Amino acid sequence: MPGDHMSNDEFFTQLTNLFEHNRKKGHGTVYLTQKRLTYDTGITPPSPTKVLDDPLWDTHPENPLPVLVHAANNKSSKREGKGKPGNERENVEKIKLSTVVQPDKLDAFYVRYAEACKAGMGGLKKRERKKKKKDKKKKKTEG
Amino acid sequence: MPYLKTSTEWYEQSSLLLKARPTTTRITSKYSVLKPSSSKIAKREAYAAKRAARASTTSPPPQSQAPPQANPEEPTATFRLKTYDPVSGTCLQYETNKAAEVGRLIGRLGMLGRGMAGLEEGEELSGAAENSHTVEQDVVMGGTSTPIEQKPAAGGGGGKKKKKGKK
Repeated sequence: MPGDHMSNDEFFTQLTNLFEHNRKKGHGTVYLTQKRLTYDTGITPPSPTKVLDDPLWDTHPENPLPVLVHAANNKSSKREGKGKPGNERENVEKIKLSTVVQPDKLDAFYVRYAEACKAGMGGLKKRERKKKKKDKKKKKTEG
Repeated sequence: MPYLKTSTEWYEQSSLLLKARPTTTRITSKYSVLKPSSSKIAKREAYAAKRAARASTTSPPPQSQAPPQANPEEPTATFRLKTYDPVSGTCLQYETNKAAEVGRLIGRLGMLGRGMAGLEEGEELSGAAENSHTVEQDVVMGGTSTPIEQKPAAGGGGGKKKKKGKK
C-alpha cells in the first residue's frame, strides 16, 4: 500500500499502541518487517541494458536508499468449541502500520525502535539467575 | 528453513544474504504471545497431575518443585527473526524467548537496516553493554590478613569468608 506511510514519530506512537493492545489482550502476535524501499522513490532504476551489463547493480547503489518498516498485528477469529478453556477469543481486525526511514535517520530510528520493542515485549522470559543457581544446588545434593 | 542456533550466526548469515541480494531480502520479526489451545491446557494439567502423583508416592525428596508452567493457562511468548529472500528462496531464522536478548537483536536489525539502505553496516548501536562482565577481582587476600603460608587444601578462614561475600 504505497502512499499511506506515516511519519516516523507517528509510527512509534502507533507501534506502542499495538504492543499495548497485545498486552491487554493477553495473547496475539506483532509482526515487524523491514525491507529496502525501491519503488516510488524518485530514484530511476538503471535501464535494462545497464542491468544486463552489471546484474549485481543493486549491491552497490549510487545513493543510499530508504528502508521501509512495517508493523502489523494478527487478525484473529473466534475459535470453535466455546466454553472450553483456551477458546475464549474475540474477532480482531488487522492493524497495519508502515513508515519509511530515510538513510540518514536510520540510527536514531533504531535506537527508538529498540526501546519500543523492549517495552512492548513484556511477555518474554525475564532473567532468573537466582532460581537457576538454586536448581543446580538441588541437583548436586540429589546426585 | 533452518533455525540458527545463535543470534550471532543468524546475524552473520543474514548480513551475507543482504549483501548478495539487497533489494529483495526482507527481515520479518515476529513477537507472539500465544494462549495455549484447550488440548494443550489439558496436556499440561495431565502432566502436572502426574508430577504431583509421583511426588506423593516417592516421599523422601519433599522438595515442592514448581512445575515448569505453574499455571496451565499461561501463554507462551516467543520472538522470532526471519530473513527471507524470495528470489533465491533463502530463509534464515532465529527464535528466542528471553527478554534480555531483545535489545541486542534490535540493534542487529539496525545494523542490517544500514546494509539494506546501502550504507556501511558499522558498529552496533545500542547493544554495546550486552556483556557486562564483572571484572573478577581476586585481589589482595594476603594484604589485609596476616601473611599465612598458602596451604593447598585449607585456606585461611577469614579469607574465605571474604570471597563468599564478594560473590
